[in-house]
Amino acid sequence: MKVIEANKLPGLAAALAGAGYRVVAPIRDGGEVRMVVWSPGAAIDTRAIPVNSAKDFLFPKAEIIGRCTLDGNDFRPEDVKPVAPKTVILAARPCDASAMLLLDAVFNWDYKDEFFNARRAATTIVSLVCTTADEQCFCTSVGGAPDATAGADGVLRQADGGRSFILEPLTEKGKAVAAAAGAALAEGQAKADAPVEVPVHFDAKAVTEWLGENFESPLWREVSLACLSCGACAYACPTCHCFDLQDEATRAESVRLRNWDTCGLALFTAHAGGHNPRPDQAARWRQRVMHKFSYLVERLGRLGCTGCGRCARLCPAGMAICETCREIDEARKAAVK
Amino acid sequence: MEMIDALRADAAKVLADGRAKVVIGYQARGDHRAPLFVTTADRAASLVYDDACKQNLAVYLRKPEVKLLGKAAVVASPAAMRSLVLLMSESQLTGDDALVLAVGVGEYHGVLELAQVAPLLKEKYAALAPSPELLREIEKLAAKTPEERAAFWAKQFAKCTRCYACRAACPGCYCTRCIVEKNVPQWISTAAAGHGNYAWNVIRAFHLAGRCTGCGACEAACPQGIPLMLLNVLLGQEVEKEFETKAGYDPEAKPVIGSWNPEDEEDFIK
Ligand code: SF4
Ligand code: SF4
Ligand code: SF4
Ligand code: SF4
Repeated sequence: MKVIEANKLPGLAAALAGAGYRVVAPIRDGGEVRMVVWSPGAAIDTRAIPVNSAKDFLFPKAEIIGRCTLDGNDFRPEDVKPVAPKTVILAARPCDASAMLLLDAVFNWDYKDEFFNARRAATTIVSLVCTTADEQCFCTSVGGAPDATAGADGVLRQADGGRSFILEPLTEKGKAVAAAAGAALAEGQAKADAPVEVPVHFDAKAVTEWLGENFESPLWREVSLACLSCGACAYACPTCHCFDLQDEATRAESVRLRNWDTCGLALFTAHAGGHNPRPDQAARWRQRVMHKFSYLVERLGRLGCTGCGRCARLCPAGMAICETCREIDEARKAAVK
Repeated sequence: MEMIDALRADAAKVLADGRAKVVIGYQARGDHRAPLFVTTADRAASLVYDDACKQNLAVYLRKPEVKLLGKAAVVASPAAMRSLVLLMSESQLTGDDALVLAVGVGEYHGVLELAQVAPLLKEKYAALAPSPELLREIEKLAAKTPEERAAFWAKQFAKCTRCYACRAACPGCYCTRCIVEKNVPQWISTAAAGHGNYAWNVIRAFHLAGRCTGCGACEAACPQGIPLMLLNVLLGQEVEKEFETKAGYDPEAKPVIGSWNPEDEEDFIK
């Protein structure tokens, strides 16, 4: 098996960077760990859960997808190609890796999104078996697991009590990364550490069922009282994929931008005439839960939540989607009795 | 009696007496603190208060769904009490709109009417100052050249995702349509990059110049860890120096950003 000592992970990143990969990894900077592009000297930290998700590198927060040059009365559209550098995402959490399958489905549902697809094709995901979790993690409630490999091209397993890692390629892309790592990975033996245990908080199937019958329910107002309307949850979420198209022009050129957007904000559904079909935060929070646990299940056969807990870690108002699902599950049980 | 027991007892009492229909306080969820909306006296025992309670709950007094619950009693720290006074000075809160469960520094001041908040602040918390670390950071930044400062902020603002959590968390950001949402035409680029990010962050700070009460909720809310308090406090210091006023102490104060005086020395406005 391919083994690497834990303190040599930067060497692996360096080898892959040397082989032409843009290397994304969980990097500690001060008190926080974020998924960012590795550069020499950056400290890779596989213990803390990164604040942001790996989505950022496949679906960036703002992206130019069209351009016209303006020259007097002359208006010339230009072909904008996706920016899709060869990338390896190292030590992505399983909840980030599995989110890729949902993004794949969304961005290829009816329209094939060439920008997303080009980056996806150029990206190799090496996930990490979680040996640490926190109180916001709930992957096991939504069909995931700390050692799940869905969406991953390879997997890193912590071994020998944290002294080393085993890298196991799962796909051709994963094999290519292992080959590119060269001498950074050694042939050897190591004993994988046990994955962390994550308790199950609710029955996702039951939640989906309840949602199908409870678009109108007093529960929505109760569970959304704290929500203040912002994008912290959706922008941290590995599966949220909503965007807004904007044209911005100067006298010389006009660009078409794809910017992140979110159902948490009132403007998301505000009509030009002034009407807003989602008039309050209860309706917006309902949309967030419905989309993830009902609509996506119905349309694509997948939950839109991988249980990463990022939204709850970042919410400025202490909202937690796991808590809402738990309350729904309780409400359902109470109704059955 | 422990501070928290007194707070819980007061919360239960205002609900039982019908003086308030909802108490807005904090609950513990593991290490996290989340708002708790208590509507019956028997649930007041779930309230907690400690240093981890960073959110400024004054923000909920404007939320329509919370207003529907009826009159609120809000748990407020001195900084949050300054927000309440700010909102009074800007006609966003009046007379008996809310009650305050006033949590001071190391002591609890009981249930206050809104009118009692400013006198308490003036008596006990007039010298409320930003932390020494924050003041040192501001000095360090001030010692830099304008180019270095611009580079520092460009790097910080580049991280902004335009999630507007800073705005959502701030009691002073109560516009029903924020300038970044003025889209006919779009005034400010909504792309989370470059000049749009710069414009957004500078405008947010300027709209709070002399209005920020220093609670730190925006910075605590920012998922990108942008040091927003550096800007807020710096602008607050400037306003204090130039206009001799500090936000959130005087319910009769005119907001610096929204008032004008014929004696002003600048002539561009005349
Ligand atoms: S749940 Fe939290 S992060 Fe999401 S919109 Fe509401 S306040 Fe913002
Ligand atoms: S909804 Fe929250 S917990 Fe679920 S995948 Fe998104 S960020 Fe993670
Ligand atoms: S939850 Fe909201 S922001 Fe996320 S994908 Fe669904 S509609 Fe979009
Ligand atoms: S909270 Fe931070 S990232 Fe979000 S809009 Fe404000 S400054 Fe930008």
